[in-house]
Amino acid sequence: MGKTYWEVFKEKGISRREFLKFASYITGLMGLAPSMVPKVVHALETKERVPVIWIHGLECSGPSEAFIRSAAPYASDLLLNVISAEIDDILQASAGVYYEENGKIVYKGYLKHEEDALNKYRGKYIMVVEGSIPLGNDGKYCIVGGKPFKEEVLKVAEGAAAIVAVGSCATWGGIPKARPNPTQSVGVMDFLPNKVVINVSGCPPIPEVITGTILHLALFGPMPLDEMGRPKQFFGNRIHDTCYRRPFFNAGQFVEKPDDDAAKKGWCLYKIGCRGPTTYNSCGNMRWFGGISYPIQSGAPCIGCAEPDFWDKDPFFQRLQNIPLPNVETTADKVGAIAAGVTAGALAVHAVAAGIRHFNKKDDEH
Amino acid sequence: MAKRVVVDPVTRIEGHLRLEITVDESTHRVVDAISSATMWRGIEVILQGRDPRDAWAFAQRICGVCTTIHALASVRAVEDALDIQIPRNANYIRNIMLGTLHVHDHVVHFYHLHSLDWVSPVTALKADPVKTAELQKQVLKWAEPLIALAHDYTGIKAYARKFPKATPAYYKAVQDKIEQIVESGQLGIFAPANWWNHPDYAKPKEGGKLPPEVHLMAVAHYLEMLDTQREFVIPHVVFGGKNPHPHYLVGGMNCSISLNDGNAPVNAARLGLVQTSIETQMDAVNFFYLPDVLAIAALYFKAGWFYGGGLSKERVLDFGEYPDEPYRDFSRTGDYWNKILYHSNGVVHNFKEGVEKAKYEQFNKDSLEYIAEYVQHSFYHYKEGDNKALHPWMGETIPAPEDVPPTPWKFLDPSRKYSYSKTPVYKGMTHEVGPLARYIITYTAVKQGHVKPSFVDEMVVTQIEEVTKYFNKNFGLDLKPHQWLPTTVGRTIARALEAHMAANVNSYFMKKLYDNIKAGDTAVANTEKFDPQTWGSGIKKGVGMTAAPRGALSHWVVIEGTKIKNYQAIVPTTWNVAPRIKNEYGEQRAAYEAAMLDTEVKVATEPVEILRTIHSFDPCLACATHIYNKDGEEITSFNVNSACAV
Repeated sequence: MGKTYWEVFKEKGISRREFLKFASYITGLMGLAPSMVPKVVHALETKERVPVIWIHGLECSGPSEAFIRSAAPYASDLLLNVISAEIDDILQASAGVYYEENGKIVYKGYLKHEEDALNKYRGKYIMVVEGSIPLGNDGKYCIVGGKPFKEEVLKVAEGAAAIVAVGSCATWGGIPKARPNPTQSVGVMDFLPNKVVINVSGCPPIPEVITGTILHLALFGPMPLDEMGRPKQFFGNRIHDTCYRRPFFNAGQFVEKPDDDAAKKGWCLYKIGCRGPTTYNSCGNMRWFGGISYPIQSGAPCIGCAEPDFWDKDPFFQRLQNIPLPNVETTADKVGAIAAGVTAGALAVHAVAAGIRHFNKKDDEH
Repeated sequence: MAKRVVVDPVTRIEGHLRLEITVDESTHRVVDAISSATMWRGIEVILQGRDPRDAWAFAQRICGVCTTIHALASVRAVEDALDIQIPRNANYIRNIMLGTLHVHDHVVHFYHLHSLDWVSPVTALKADPVKTAELQKQVLKWAEPLIALAHDYTGIKAYARKFPKATPAYYKAVQDKIEQIVESGQLGIFAPANWWNHPDYAKPKEGGKLPPEVHLMAVAHYLEMLDTQREFVIPHVVFGGKNPHPHYLVGGMNCSISLNDGNAPVNAARLGLVQTSIETQMDAVNFFYLPDVLAIAALYFKAGWFYGGGLSKERVLDFGEYPDEPYRDFSRTGDYWNKILYHSNGVVHNFKEGVEKAKYEQFNKDSLEYIAEYVQHSFYHYKEGDNKALHPWMGETIPAPEDVPPTPWKFLDPSRKYSYSKTPVYKGMTHEVGPLARYIITYTAVKQGHVKPSFVDEMVVTQIEEVTKYFNKNFGLDLKPHQWLPTTVGRTIARALEAHMAANVNSYFMKKLYDNIKAGDTAVANTEKFDPQTWGSGIKKGVGMTAAPRGALSHWVVIEGTKIKNYQAIVPTTWNVAPRIKNEYGEQRAAYEAAMLDTEVKVATEPVEILRTIHSFDPCLACATHIYNKDGEEITSFNVNSACAV
């Protein structure tokens, strides 16, 4: 971030007293009342970091943990220099405190600060939601500060400049929504149908996809999203499209059982259930931890954790099939599937996913 | 006069926790305390009817902070039910992933979830960077006898790479950054500014406990560890593909090993990544975490702050950990307990009287039947009345949504139901669980001669003795382990010691992994029963136990045919956060409430001490809450006799 006026003054060896005189001078110059001097001083001293209000519903904190795993940018660079996490349930120093005094409730810490920050930064802050929103039993399956979480979502959404749903629970409802959805949970986009919600999906999302999205908002503002609200730069490809094991799929070389000879050779995991062909995410190209691995590279079939309702597309070790064969298909896929001599299921899945993509692209052009 | 104060939301934890305390403002003692879990997802009911081979993935999402631990407990439970023994390499790899979790979870807990209960960024601004650099050297020197216990079994680690920067320029740079943040008025995660007015954060001359230099050193390490912690979990990324939530496999691991093929998930280069990560874990614990915790602890003890022990003085419980070699099972032969290296499997009563007088009981297969849960003050009902406790195999859970008070809540009524957590008991009594419990139990087991100590047990005992010397020699105190261990500070120390031990354990199993691969064994999975058609028909029951970072964890599974019929998790935070109960042993509190009652609160309306005590448990609320049926019906019930017989 750039230097503030006060930093420049300090560097040039100009005293605090001179700086304050300068502030009074320009306050007059701008035609403002002398009472505005402190505000001008504050503006000259600081270049505001982008305020962030990061709230939690029914979640496991996996996305927050993923956020601090980011290597580029580091979480510390974001937290200290780019954003100002005014509310962040995981890292926030202060807890919510309240008590009764002379018949009135006094709020302190988190609860007071949240109220202040929502007013002060109204229309300017990024709202980040982690976790799903339970609607069952009047929302009382998640109570924060004595109130249902759904009320907090409505309150914070009202003045938000942008809304980011981070993780599979906040995007599509996630594991709480898995059948039989005991708490009647929903994701943010379904709860706030009239708002634009940026969906950073994944269980959890790739760390750099979270920090990349936040950095994009702070540096460049709004970003291109796909039809499901996901940033195109991170969710533009199926894992299958960028998977380093794709040549084995094309060559028809498959793992049949965990830890068989083919597993040692690192062949394609499609036959033991890999969801790479139907999952849009950056695992194949970005990988995790600066390129070290992703589940497929570690021999584990992808469970499709960035896709809506992936929990109910189990069992995970059963290969993808039961999808009708459409007419749309790309040449490379056809060649690959035929060369592989695999079942119609392989062909079908592959082609359907590719077909959906083509349709969406067309949609985007309108 | 008594003042009632609500703390909600409790931040720097996983999930949603509410505390209510009543403080006598003349004595500063807490006269009543309520701990309430205020969230609930129903993952156990979501698991019903699923493929047991997928259970680890669902169960793992119980928690993303102690990620991996519920996957481990889950595959152990399913393997116990299906009678599957995993290969050696899988055992070593799982142990390394567990030890890695202990190091990571404990370090992140101390710096990012707990340190701000002890130090303040605002007080750090008053520190002298030159004196802070000197303090850093001194703190490392004091910790030398403990640091010396770190042992690299692989013989590969050349020297310490992550080492604190004991220079004034470094501390000045950190201080400048904090100053800029504070002056900008945008304190971000450190907001609001008045949070730091509590007397405990002041300079010692002004009534505080720690010199500003300690504050600056700890805040600098907060930042340093924020950026370093990611390197600790690389073993999860290599063996499980990602973190949080690495992948597991019933029967072993997915990460096939080959030194023969060009594209194997694990080869010599991939092992190198794990090796380097374990070295980083060791350095971070040796030179940052352990010295920092001990210095802060000593100054708090020096100031006479021995609060927060609560239930740990009376009753603690754990199940033990780190099978040296693959074990047969938990519930049939109990072979797990023949193979473990960390003999924290037991119950200790009355440790407060000293290790000689403490009452020790071993936990093994025959103890399984004594675990049960109450719902007297939980938002659930039992069919035969709420005063009964039920064994987890009974699995009877009926939600009571009508008993959740209408919102907004002002104060909870502790005479009614007040939490989404049940109350687990062992032999009818509440117990504290966690690293402190494990250290008390292992220490007592060895000192009273109940176990033949492994290298892990020996390290635990030596650590406790060295820490005692640390306080007495360097700070002129006269303490014995039973005086400093069962306290809030002792809970925080036990975590650091356990991380220190876990890094050694990782190195030990890394050596075993190298040796086994060298001997020609590359198997990572036993797939004889990978096909569900091999399981046969009928009902199979299993239990998987583990030492989670927060304490004793058990998953209980019932498989009918090829599907999960019932799934129950009794989680560490459930043991600790639970609401009170009353039975033939009288009125009992669980650990959080007991610890709060044992804590002094200087300013009732700024209960920083309560947060310090509760954070010392590392609360994980997503873990703590239980199962439910949408229609309010009983989900399953089992014959307790047959269950206990397995």
